[in-house]
Amino acid sequence: MAWNIGANDVANAMGTSVGSGALTLKQAVVLAAVFEFAGAFFVGGNVAQTIRKGIVDTDSLWAATHSVERGNPSKGPTSIPARVSSASVASERSGEQAWWGASAEKNPTGRLYTQLILGMLAALIASSIWLNVATYFGQPVSTTHAIIGAVIGFAIVAAGVHAVDWSMMGTIALSWIISPLVGGVLAFIVYKLVQKYVLSSRHPVFMARRALPICFGAVSFLISLSVLYSVLHVKANALVTKVPLAALCGLVVALGARAVLSRKAARLRVRRSQRYEVVERWFGRIQPVTACYMAFAHGANDVANAIGPLAGIFHYAGGGTIADKAPVPFWLLAIGGVGIVIGLSTYGYKVMAAIGKKITEITPTRGFAAEFGTASTVLLCSLMGLPISTTFVLVGAVMGVGIARGFGAIDLGVVRKIFASWLITIPVSALLSAGIYWLLIRFV
Amino acid sequence: MLNPLNIFGQSPFGPLVDHARKVHECVSLIKPVAEAILAENAARLEELHKQVSKLEFEADHIKDEVRENLPHRYYLPVDRDDLARFLSSMDKIADDAEDFAVMAMFRPLRLPKELHAEFLALADKVVAVSECLLGVAEQLADIQKGGFTGPDSKEVLKRIAEVCQMEFESDKINHQLARHAYGVTDLDPITLILLDKLCRALGKLADHAENVGKNLRLMITRK
Repeated sequence: MAWNIGANDVANAMGTSVGSGALTLKQAVVLAAVFEFAGAFFVGGNVAQTIRKGIVDTDSLWAATHSVERGNPSKGPTSIPARVSSASVASERSGEQAWWGASAEKNPTGRLYTQLILGMLAALIASSIWLNVATYFGQPVSTTHAIIGAVIGFAIVAAGVHAVDWSMMGTIALSWIISPLVGGVLAFIVYKLVQKYVLSSRHPVFMARRALPICFGAVSFLISLSVLYSVLHVKANALVTKVPLAALCGLVVALGARAVLSRKAARLRVRRSQRYEVVERWFGRIQPVTACYMAFAHGANDVANAIGPLAGIFHYAGGGTIADKAPVPFWLLAIGGVGIVIGLSTYGYKVMAAIGKKITEITPTRGFAAEFGTASTVLLCSLMGLPISTTFVLVGAVMGVGIARGFGAIDLGVVRKIFASWLITIPVSALLSAGIYWLLIRFV
Repeated sequence: MLNPLNIFGQSPFGPLVDHARKVHECVSLIKPVAEAILAENAARLEELHKQVSKLEFEADHIKDEVRENLPHRYYLPVDRDDLARFLSSMDKIADDAEDFAVMAMFRPLRLPKELHAEFLALADKVVAVSECLLGVAEQLADIQKGGFTGPDSKEVLKRIAEVCQMEFESDKINHQLARHAYGVTDLDPITLILLDKLCRALGKLADHAENVGKNLRLMITRK
């Protein structure tokens, strides 16, 4: 799963930099690996938490299992859908043994854990299958949507419709609608700012020189702020210490960039006809930075798709309780990060090379606007623990730049197709996961 | 693989500039044609006509390509109708140039010596209009990259005004030439008709160039 994410999604982030010649393929892979890992490791926990236990209402699973244990579902205190489904589960499982089945038979808690572990396993398998099938048929699918759909699927089979925390699902669904919009608006604003203060100014090259350190600074400010935010879990005086610290980080980077740029610019003579090429070249230098930002944000959000269910499995198998608020263990995040990096280095570079060649439309200024808008939105959602699709947001951001008249032509037909294939993903992976869960329950 | 990056359709602005260049190539042959007319060199006219036809055909080809790449599902930074009108006006310029070259072959035009200078001046002016327009159109791809804002767009707007001014001047020369031609008492009527047709072709050419400029202005100022 992590491999798949690394192979396909990350390449999107770095493809532009490779395409514009700002980075070599090798550099891009290394940078993407580092930042993807960092994002996953530092910020990835929030979203993984949501997938692990935010969607499935464990209380109703608990109730369902209880009634099974009593062997008398009709008199159980649970509501009707739970009784119906648990009754079927009970008949399925009576007399069957699993490797942890013995303990599961004895106490309801064990049974519940078995269910959760199998369910998460089913979700992982289902979404992996669907991702591979879809990729085989050349459809872009969102790993996020696949995994969420799969978790819902197993939860419904396990304990009925009400086992899904629909208010949480509502929030997630809403974030899927809102995140591309936010990404689009951000990209629009950034592009308009670049247009107004750099491209349309009297001296574009001079203004580019002043704008670039600000962009560098903003990116490093946001990255360091999000790392600080999730690493230092001190709730009190949170903003008082973190914001200045992050601001300091940003400032240092900005000043450094400024020093380097002014040294280079001193020797620069620009002919009037070449202004725009020079500006684009300058903005090209920032592309590796925004690409790293993309990789960081992406790692923060998407690592959860792979390890969220895994975290659930290990948590319950290790004897953790449901009410346990312990964060996702770091070593799991690290595993997710490593998986993504392996995917990236074994297959992702091919995708990257293919994408890089294709892009002639994305000039550095527009690429910066779109990627900055995307990464900021994704990072924000990661901090809020919302699992969203990076590519969804990227499409929104591209539309934002397009509305600012930035692109020559945007194929709305393809946009429609992308959104449609993502929407289909949810029910399909839900069905798949439900089926796999049903099979697993039979054999375990 | 349906990659998300496929959302970028083929930008029409690059081929549009190619088309403009090809059209101007057509127009730039008007001067040699005019000279050949005055020299009454039929062989040269024939050869020039072949060249113009070939260029016009190539321009048509580019035009069709641009049109094929403008499906309605494309989201463009300019109004689609403005773009289509820009293209068709541009195409008419090439048509006019070809008309001129064709009519020049109808029969030898025995133009009185006193009209030669004005005839050449008119041809010069028309070519100059087209050249000015090409300068504007060539910047189309660049100003699109700047999102149709900025100093370059303002400069383009200024040069569009220049194109309009030059079109007006070419009109004046055209009227003067007509008045003088009708004033020559012993001019053969058929020669007069042919001269009139040739001048009209050039006048139309300049008109269409002006229209292209105006279309471009609409594209830039659309908000």
